[in-house]
Amino acid sequence: MTKVFVSAVVDAPIEQVWGKVRDFNGLPQWHPRFSRSHIEDGLPSDRIGCVRNFDIAGGGGTIRERLLTLSDLDHTFAYCILTSPLPVEGYVAALTLYPVTVGNKTLGVWTAEFRVTNGKEADVVEAVGNGTFGKAFEVLNEFFATRR
Amino acid sequence: MAKVYRSAVIDAPAEVVWAYVRDFNALPKWHPAIATSEIEGGLSSDRVGCVRRFTRRSDGGLLREQLLALSDVDRTFTYNILISPMPVANYVATMRFTPITAGNKTFAEWWAEFDVTSGPEQVTVTDIGDNVFVAGFASIGSKLAKH
Repeated sequence: MTKVFVSAVVDAPIEQVWGKVRDFNGLPQWHPRFSRSHIEDGLPSDRIGCVRNFDIAGGGGTIRERLLTLSDLDHTFAYCILTSPLPVEGYVAALTLYPVTVGNKTLGVWTAEFRVTNGKEADVVEAVGNGTFGKAFEVLNEFFATRR
Repeated sequence: MAKVYRSAVIDAPAEVVWAYVRDFNALPKWHPAIATSEIEGGLSSDRVGCVRRFTRRSDGGLLREQLLALSDVDRTFTYNILISPMPVANYVATMRFTPITAGNKTFAEWWAEFDVTSGPEQVTVTDIGDNVFVAGFASIGSKLAKH
């Protein structure tokens, strides 16, 4: 089992960051690696068990992920991949936000566990860890920096 | 039951911060409010159940706290107060240190739950949160920056 752990400070209060990332159908609206998303079967995006169907930008293929956990109390959501072009299986990931009370900022922690099916573990870890999770925290910081 | 939670970024890697603070007998080394400390009965300070007996710098006030949990996996420990000059009862607190991979820093958290036994609850909550917890974070950060 391969594990990825990426964490970063986002320079905005936790309620603002949570408001930005909480929508399970909203990923392409703020993450440049992804485009187009809809929730299958017309379900609301905060219904546990709903499936988001979205594209990797630039023709990289379609990913389907199921929402497993959503907590407005702990500022966290978890999901698993159902189908994707990535060489992974058993993929479960979670994003959790923590308040940084000194400075009124937010810590984002994004983790994933999965098995790599093509033997290229380092490539997959890079794509998931820096390419997706690390990039997410970068663009969130850019977004909130422009709002100040 | 009153609750207090404080958190901060410490500009040092989590392994470094954890090695510095995991010693349950090390409060005088890193907390500016604490003068002396010893572990009762000659136990090692990473033995769950051990009791630290320490004194405040301001007035020599005595505290006894018992280690309830210690995890090198999660970089966390939990303890309760047995004796304290503070107006609290049923006090249980946890410190946790999480790596910040962007920049190789540490996210430090400290929280507690307790009953306030005299005086306005908010005064004690703010005193513990700012003068104990946040002051501790600031001191850890400044001491590790000098190393």
